[in-house]
Order: sequence, then structure tokens, then C-alpha cells
Amino acid sequence: MKIHRMHDEPRRREEDRLRLLPAFDAAGGLRPGAAKVVSDATGVPEATAYGVASFYHLLARPDVDVRVCTGLSCRMAGADAALSALQRGGAAVEGCACLGQCDRAPAALQTDPGGGGHFTPLQARRSEAAAAGAGQGAEVWTLAPYGAPHLTPDDAELAINLAGADDLSWAALAQARVEGADAVLQKVDDAKLRGRGGAGFPAGFKWRAVARNADRDPVVICNADEGEPGTFKDREVMAQRPHLMLEGMAIAAHAVGASELVIYLRAEFKAPREALLAAIASARAAGHLDGLSVELALGHGAYICGEETALLEALEGRRGMPRHKPPFPTDSGYLGRPTLMNNVETFACIPAIVRRGGAWFAGLGAGDASGTKLYPISGDVARPGVYELPLGASFETLLAAAGGVTGGALLAFSPGGASSGLLPASMADIALDFGPLQEAGSMLGSAGVVVLNDTRDPLAATLTRARFFREESCGQCAPCRVGTQVLVRLLERMQAAVAAGEALSDSDRAALERVSWQMEEGSICGLGQAAPIPVKHLLRWFT
Amino acid sequence: MPDDVPPGPFPGSAAAPARAAGDGLATLSVVIDGTQVHAAPGETLLQAARRAGVTIPTLCHDERLAPTGACRMCLVESSDSRRMVPACRHPVAEGLEVVTDSARVHRHRQSLLSLYAADAPEGVKPGTELDRHMRTYGLEPGLPQVNAPREGRPDDDNKYVLFQPESCILCARCTRYCDEVEAVAAITLAERGSATTIATADNVSLLDSTCELCGGCIDTCPTGALVERKVAHRQDTFPSLKPVRTTCNYCGVGCQFDLQVDPAANQVVRVTSPAPGTTTNDGNLCVKGRFAYGFIGHPERLTEPLIRDASGELVPTDWDTALQRAADLLTGVRDKFGKDTLGFISSSRCTNEENYLVQKLARAAFGTNNCHQCAAT
Repeated sequence: MKIHRMHDEPRRREEDRLRLLPAFDAAGGLRPGAAKVVSDATGVPEATAYGVASFYHLLARPDVDVRVCTGLSCRMAGADAALSALQRGGAAVEGCACLGQCDRAPAALQTDPGGGGHFTPLQARRSEAAAAGAGQGAEVWTLAPYGAPHLTPDDAELAINLAGADDLSWAALAQARVEGADAVLQKVDDAKLRGRGGAGFPAGFKWRAVARNADRDPVVICNADEGEPGTFKDREVMAQRPHLMLEGMAIAAHAVGASELVIYLRAEFKAPREALLAAIASARAAGHLDGLSVELALGHGAYICGEETALLEALEGRRGMPRHKPPFPTDSGYLGRPTLMNNVETFACIPAIVRRGGAWFAGLGAGDASGTKLYPISGDVARPGVYELPLGASFETLLAAAGGVTGGALLAFSPGGASSGLLPASMADIALDFGPLQEAGSMLGSAGVVVLNDTRDPLAATLTRARFFREESCGQCAPCRVGTQVLVRLLERMQAAVAAGEALSDSDRAALERVSWQMEEGSICGLGQAAPIPVKHLLRWFT
Repeated sequence: MPDDVPPGPFPGSAAAPARAAGDGLATLSVVIDGTQVHAAPGETLLQAARRAGVTIPTLCHDERLAPTGACRMCLVESSDSRRMVPACRHPVAEGLEVVTDSARVHRHRQSLLSLYAADAPEGVKPGTELDRHMRTYGLEPGLPQVNAPREGRPDDDNKYVLFQPESCILCARCTRYCDEVEAVAAITLAERGSATTIATADNVSLLDSTCELCGGCIDTCPTGALVERKVAHRQDTFPSLKPVRTTCNYCGVGCQFDLQVDPAANQVVRVTSPAPGTTTNDGNLCVKGRFAYGFIGHPERLTEPLIRDASGELVPTDWDTALQRAADLLTGVRDKFGKDTLGFISSSRCTNEENYLVQKLARAAFGTNNCHQCAAT
């Protein structure tokens, strides 16, 4: 007989809440009545459950068959035409934020027939023959599987080496266990490894902060919610080298005294998910994960959940609204426990650092920079793909690796995601590193580089990204929720002014300046704080 | 019960004031706008500032709710942060220097309020917290109006609570009140970004939700986005209403409320609760207290005693006649059928004293113990 004890209740409710989002997957998304079913199963009030699910687009719109990416690279490759053509085809098709497939532009995501949170990424292709037959200029677009990614060729001297074979021996973990936690922490310090997710926070500092809390049951979380427009490097790490990332996480757990690993992966990534599941199974079978639990949690369509505290909220079954800091996750993160959260690429750097030493890794960078860096590049380039170069390599070097500009001369490039803005061709020799880009008023961010040739319109590109921020703001604070709307409004006015052969009015320019100030000063998290940067760049370099 | 719960005027009230300096707990010292203020560990900048008489404007703050820092109205400068911090949730620390009246803070208040104004396509409701802040701190010139796609529940035809999404600033006081104070959680923040709104599960009517129609969401709303539906058309006149404090007699709790009276028409327009922390009901009301006041000025309200005439029709009479008729008939029944064939039932709307008198009437005058009052069950 099961004895029900009152003091089990809070614990049970907490565990039930963690099942909230998966329960919506099982219910087929946010359909009428689903909130009631999920509420009954989890004990979370029905309205609260509804409010959580409605936050996540993959749950909130369960009847969408196909999503077409409206990110910058995809729009440059014809996503608008693909979207309208596919919508004419009768299926439920809508636009969506960056799918992390900028090298396969225009990208699309098809809902699997069984649903349940499963999706298949595809590439939209214009059918020339059908278009000729259809007449009246009506384009016909179809969805097709994509080809193999462009990667830097196999080179054992690279820290990650996407084209190399995964090391199934997990020798670095074994070495870390022999050398001990302190030695690993020292190597990460010596490596001067800066987080590869966007903020560039020193990894060693973060690891030590969690290690100091080793007595409070810390947890290691991998942020695999890669959603920054123009960024698809983590996708390839997980698809090509899942063992490298997992081994890095296991080493981190050893270093900070954790026994629980959680991977928060965006659900749009099918191949990475399959590769990770296979790698977890094989590592488990080989005994590499003895003493460690590994959970693969899936995102549900919300860019903001790449922000670490929003990610924690999502993992805990809540709306993905960023938390205030302090407390920092290293002290109080997942379920209030000390939490080490790093990006996929950051963890993937760890095995090489353990095997070959921190000084070796630090020496890989260009100039003062440390390590190699994965640079995803897309847009008007010959070979869009993921290239591993010394951190601090110039944009020109990266562009050359990707085969140069196509369709015209270089006009501008976005060096590191949606909030890094556009830099002019005259700055092509800038080092793609945290410091130099910050000094230029931009940022390295996730290093997702997008290239624009001289047939492109920087204003239209900036508007695309302003709309992205408007759609992906969590809505929690007014500076971001309203500010992103005001930015779009002002850019639309600017577009109308330019079309009429006029300049942006002084009053609108002043309004842009004022709203930008408020967004930077008043927003809770980095999304709102950084969203005005592209507009500033537009005014500074392209008007 | 934990032994560290401080005694207060209303133990358990979330609005019970934080313990002031000088009681042995205020072990920290912070400087707010140049003035030294003592504070207890765990207190927020807002609590310390209010005790020191420094005004910091808030919108999403309600003493009864866990602070969220979402509205950004209370941002101030603090020496432990490069960025401005939300006073409502930023903890005090020894030696902290806090500035609430700098040019930066003032510019922030104006520019934030300008964003709220840009997001209010129908204008701001007069007399609300948001309106008062705008009048106090002013607005910057000329941001374009935005047209957020947030939706209300146009099909929700409940007669009590109206949600006007165009006036909502998404401070979430209503949803948090519903969850944290009432433990009902009938409403929630829903959608995201510019489409964020307040919703019920599946956007059903409040009547089909778990809502108990207490109307606390209306009281806590700082913008008037939530309003009593019946008087929504008069919302702009609310600031001119005169409060008349009274005690609810629907049950025995003794809630205080303010009848909001239109002085010209001598008419009760709406009912509100006194501020949290000031009366027994701690800012709360129930559906009866808040919405069941229509009888006050109702044309069918009984204002004089009625007795039936020979044809059975009810006709007005005086109290002596009416009481004599009741006494005659009741003693008649007792004399003919026995005292225990009588029963006396009184109303929970009667006061304790009235209920006492009813049972005394039953026992002393008629000799029966058959007496009951509906609140006894």
C-alpha cells in the first residue's frame, strides 16, 4: 500500500512542474482543452499552464505544418517569396524566427506527422521548371533535404575540429579524473577560455564560482538553445562531435562537484538531437557516464530562452522570462541550486584543454586572443558554413575561407548575431574578437557572421532584425517590449522617408536616440539592452 | 509555527509593515539621497526609502506580492551596481549609497513613462497610479504611438470584471494577486513580446474559469485596465467619487469597504477595499462585498414594514402594527400546536447582537431551542 505523506507534497509539485512543457508536447501542443489535461497531470493551475504554453511558439501554434525562416540570410535567399508561394499551396505555413540553418537558406521547418515536439528541417528551393509552366510569374517553391555543411577540413591542431572523428575513448575525462578537479580548474584558467555563447565571460571564473558551492549539489547545464540569428555553429558541434561536448560537460561536472548534466536543446535541431541521443547511449554503455545523470530537455520555440536565466525558467516549466541578477546562477540557478551553464562550443573546447594544456589552447588565438573559434558565416558568400579559425582572425580571413563575396562587391557585414549590427566594408580588416568589436561599438556575440553584397539594402536588413527583436522580446519589461515596437515604427518611417527621397526627420532621429537610451538603461536583460545597437550602426555608417 | 515571525497589527498580512529601525533588528546602515537610514537585513531599498520618507514611484509593486521588478518604474542608482537597480527587490547592504533624485534617474522616469504613453493608444485613465506618475514626473516629447497586437477576451460577457487590454502595462499585479493572495490563479500572463496579454485558460469567460469574482484584480490594477464592467463607462469620473467607509454585513468577517459615492446623485458607483494593511480584510473583498450593492438604491428595496390585508395583498403599515401582527400569529401557533413547532432562523447578514436577540426571542419568549443561523453551518 502506498502511504501518502503530507511533507512529500512540495517536492512532488516541483517535480510535476518540471514535466509541464513535455506534457504539452504529449497533448499535441496548446489546443483547446490541453491546458486542463496538463493541469490535471501536473497540479499546475490551468490558467498558469495555459500562460506558459502560450509563450512558446512551437506549442502555441500546433497546427502549423511548415515554418519558413525570416532571418536575414534566409530573406536574402528568397524566404519571402518561398513563404508566399508555400502559403498559396494551401498548407498551414507561417514565418518564424531564425532556425539556425542560415547556410541552407531559405530554411524551413516541417512539423512531423506524429507531432509530439518533433520537427524536420528542410531547405526551400525554387522550382525553375514549374515556375515556367505556372506562368504569370508565380513562383513555385518546394521543400527538400539539404546537403552536407561546409566545414574547415580535418586538422588535429584545432581545438574542436568539426571535421575530425569523435574520440570515443573519452581519454580527456579519464585524464581529468586522474589529475583532479583543481588541476582541471587551473587548466581552464590557463586556457583563458572565454564563453562561446555570446557574453564572453571567463569560463574559469564561472567554474570556480560553482566549485566553491560544491557542497550544495551543483548542476551542469549545457545551453544548446542556439537561436542567435546567423548562428549555427553549436548545431554542427552537436551533429559532428556530440561526444566532444558531452565529455566536456562530464569534465566540468568532475571539476565543480556535480553529478547531474542537463542539455537544453532547441527542438528545431533534429540531427543534433539524434546525434546526442546516440552519443549519450554509447557513452553510457561504455561507462563514461557512470555516476552522472544526463537529461536532454527540449526548447519549444523562444529565442529568449538562450538567455541563461530565461533558459532556467523554461527548464522549470515557466514562461521564459529572464530573472534578475543577482543572484547569479553560479549561486542560485536551476531549482535554486548552484548552476554551471556554458555554451555547447565552450564545453567542446574542454577535452583539448585537458589533454594538451591551457597554455596550448591560449596559444591558438590570434594576438592576445585565446583558442580557436567556430565562425558560422552566411549570406552573400560562396561557401556558407562553419569555419574554425584562431579567435581574433579578421573578417577578411573568414570571408576568404568561405570563398568570398557573391553577387557583387562587399557592402557590409554583421559580425556576431542580431544585435551586433552592420559594419561597413571599410572595416573588413577588423579582428573578430570580443575586445576589438566592442571598441567598434559592436560585439562578437555568438560570432554568427552575415555578409551583404552591394545590391542589398542596409535599412531593410536592420528592419528585419528590429522586427525579430519585437517578436522575440519576452514581454516582461516595457523598455524592451514597447521599445522594440517603437524602433520598428521609426525604421518603417525612415523607409518611407527614403522612398520619398527624404532623410529621417530630426524629431524621429531624436526619438530614436531617446528610446535607445531607455532600452539600454531600463531593460532587464541583454535582449532589450542590445536591440538598439543595429539602429545606431545604421545611422552612423549607412545614412 | 516558526518563531521568527514578527508580531504586527495583522499577523500574516503581507502588508504588515517591516520592522522599523530601533527595534534591535535594523543592523545595517545605508545612505539614501545623502541621508543615513537604518535597515534590517533582507529589507529592500524601497522599504528603507519609504521609511526614510523618500518617495520612489512604483507600478508593479504591491506590498502583498513578491516583488518582480518588471515595470522598471522604481529604478534607482545604487553604489553596488553599474546599472540602475529596481528598488522594490534590490536588497539593502551595509554602506550602500543610493541615489533616487539624480539627473539619470529623472531622465529614466520620464523616458520610461513616455514608452508607457506610446503604448496607450486610448490614452491613460485619469486618477490611476500611471496617470499620477505621468503628472508628477512628466513625459519626453514625441515617440510614435505603437499598436501592440495584444488581445483581451472580447467574448467574455461576464457582468463583473472588464479587461481593457489597450490600457494594460502588463505589470502582472492582477495575475500575481489572483495566484499569491487569492490562491485562485484564474488569470495569467499569456502570449509573449508585443502580443503579451492577460488571459484565462483557453480565453474562456471568467465565469467559466476558476475565478471567484472577488475583483481584487481591479483594486490592484495601477492603470484602470481592469474595471467593474457595469460602471466602465463612468471610469473617467472615478477620481471625483467620495469614499464612505462602512462595514460589510454579508457575513461575520467584518470587512471594511469604501462605498464610492457620486455626491451629485447621492449614488454608490462602486465599492473598493481600503488599502492593504489597514483593515481586517487587508485590501481584499469577496464577490458579495464588491459587487452586491445594487440593492442600496434599488426601486424595489423595502423601506417600510408590510402586512397582508384581508384579501392577502401586502400593504404598508407602521412598526407597532406589524410587530403586533407577528407576535399574535406566533403565539397563536405556539398555543395551538406547542412551542417546539416553532423555529427561528436568522441571517448571516445580521450582526452578532441581532443574532443574539433572535435566539433570546426563541428561548425566552417562546421557550424553544429551535433556532439557527445560516453562518453556523
